[in-house]
Amino acid sequence: MDGLLFYEKSKEANLAQPVLVDTDPGIDDAMAILLALRSPELEVRALTTVHGNADVLQTARNARQILELAERSDIPVAMGAAQPLVRPFAGVVDYVHGANGLGNVSLPAPKMPLVNMPAACFIVEQVMAAPGELTILTLGPLTNLALALHLKPEIAHLVRGVVLMGGAAFCEGNVSPVAEANIYHDPEAARMVFEAPWPLTMVGLDVTKKVVMDKPYLAELQQAGNRFTQFIASIIPCYIAYHNARYQLDGFHVHDPSAVAYLIRPELFRTQEYYVQVETQGSCQGYTVVDRLGLYGQKPNVKVCVDVDAEGVLTLYKQRLTC
Amino acid sequence: MRRFLIDTDTASDDAVAILMALRTPGIHVEAITTVSGNVPVEQGTKNALNTVELCGADVPVYMGMDRPLLREPSHAYFFHGDDGMGGLQLPPPKRQPERLHAVDAIINTIISAPGEITLVTLGPLTNVAVALRKAPHIARQVREVYVMGGAANTVGNITPAAEYNIWCDPEAAHIVFHSGMPIVMVGWEHCCGQAVLNDEEMAYVRSLDTPYAHYTLDINRQALKACKEWLGLDGLALPDPVAMSVAIDRTICTSLGRYYVDVETASELTRGMTVVDELRVTNREPNIEVCKAIDIARWKETLYRTLR
Repeated sequence: MDGLLFYEKSKEANLAQPVLVDTDPGIDDAMAILLALRSPELEVRALTTVHGNADVLQTARNARQILELAERSDIPVAMGAAQPLVRPFAGVVDYVHGANGLGNVSLPAPKMPLVNMPAACFIVEQVMAAPGELTILTLGPLTNLALALHLKPEIAHLVRGVVLMGGAAFCEGNVSPVAEANIYHDPEAARMVFEAPWPLTMVGLDVTKKVVMDKPYLAELQQAGNRFTQFIASIIPCYIAYHNARYQLDGFHVHDPSAVAYLIRPELFRTQEYYVQVETQGSCQGYTVVDRLGLYGQKPNVKVCVDVDAEGVLTLYKQRLTC
Repeated sequence: MRRFLIDTDTASDDAVAILMALRTPGIHVEAITTVSGNVPVEQGTKNALNTVELCGADVPVYMGMDRPLLREPSHAYFFHGDDGMGGLQLPPPKRQPERLHAVDAIINTIISAPGEITLVTLGPLTNVAVALRKAPHIARQVREVYVMGGAANTVGNITPAAEYNIWCDPEAAHIVFHSGMPIVMVGWEHCCGQAVLNDEEMAYVRSLDTPYAHYTLDINRQALKACKEWLGLDGLALPDPVAMSVAIDRTICTSLGRYYVDVETASELTRGMTVVDELRVTNREPNIEVCKAIDIARWKETLYRTLR
């Protein structure tokens, strides 16, 4: 069945899974959001934005620009936390995502307004409006989600699940020897999110670093020549330069889009349930401590993605962006 | 002749490592120093003396620190048995430990043969840390140091993040790792997986029918149970003997990387984690050579050779 036909069918049958995306766009966030918007299995209900790859004003602006590019300004955007729960904002990650978070590509100023409430309130409102239905997908630091839990702890029982891009279970980190950036930048928030009783899935570096978009793949993607693939081609050069310098990689690791791929096609991932804690202090700040041997005798609290069909994810991405 | 100094919290796998060093031609063990760890230091000293006696050796054994620098002692009876030797309750050793303290023995041994001594540590690093504080220059006078300890950004055995020896006395490990000593770290991960002695291999060891082979299996009977039932391993893991095999023959380590390695001391959750900067994100000068892979067949052959 081709994508469009499936899209129509799933609309009719109302099969699309409602998703709220909390994000700090971010080059790979932008790529992830586009994948979500172009996948009939998902119904993107809202975007909420957070500090992270850029400051929160910039990420709120970027989120709306991406939606307007996709002609989806009907999707509400709420701006969220400007800094981590107890720490100062770490600063723009310009050497990875460019000074504006989108590879220094300037887009027209967004026309659509922001929702008139902070992201944490909006998350609570969206969850309460559709009890048991909504999946929350997080692509940045977990500050908004932690604040939402503070405001209304019951949401932990009222979401369908939380899928997060973040963490490193059995591999090295990307911002410290052991920590992944999204967890590292607000470890206290991450600890709250990991300790809350909702069904939590971690799409971490263990899998996202196995999915690599290399130059030939990106060339094929660009050949499709639609406005989405052109946009992607325009924002990725600095992302490639970073991966090239740090990992000697002629392309880049596919972090955030892999988390969206998990929502669309979970069968592409192998998961394992573990008891996971988040380190908030010391040289291991932001480390996701996975009790693989069951040393603590605690019930698992996280479904951890441990392996991925990387080709499958890459094929899915290309198919959805080029159809 | 290579000259070894072994610092150990002698319990079942330490004893096998000591035996390997004592029974390898071309290696002279100058001294054995004991430290609190798997068992209290008095018990570990007895276990070391018993092992030396079994080998018919006359190596002096020096008793050392009876607790970590700051932390409460935490022994591993559940893993090694109440005597550290699988509950065998061996007869008391004929010899006594020397009167000199282990810390002074470490310093004297190293400074009396500058550039000659290979230090192999099999337990918490308390003795070595105190020796470094008392005589910092030993860091430059020791030939090389093999540390059984840590887990290179991988799963721990006492907590999810940490290996027992480093976890026991993380402050001591911190001092040693940042001392400038030329350290090769042989982490706990290298004794797992295919590196364990499986049932067939243990049967082979038994069939050697020497006192050394029987001793090796008998003192490790509780450890075997713990490995299988608690850690879910496929046989007997022997961390100290694996490290000793690398100290005996460095080429058993097939992949070695120089990294900046830090030891976590501030947190409880990751206490004693060896944080290895594999991607060099900290921009700090490498301080440790980390063993990343071993030749499993040759580690086992090195063990068998010393048991025959």
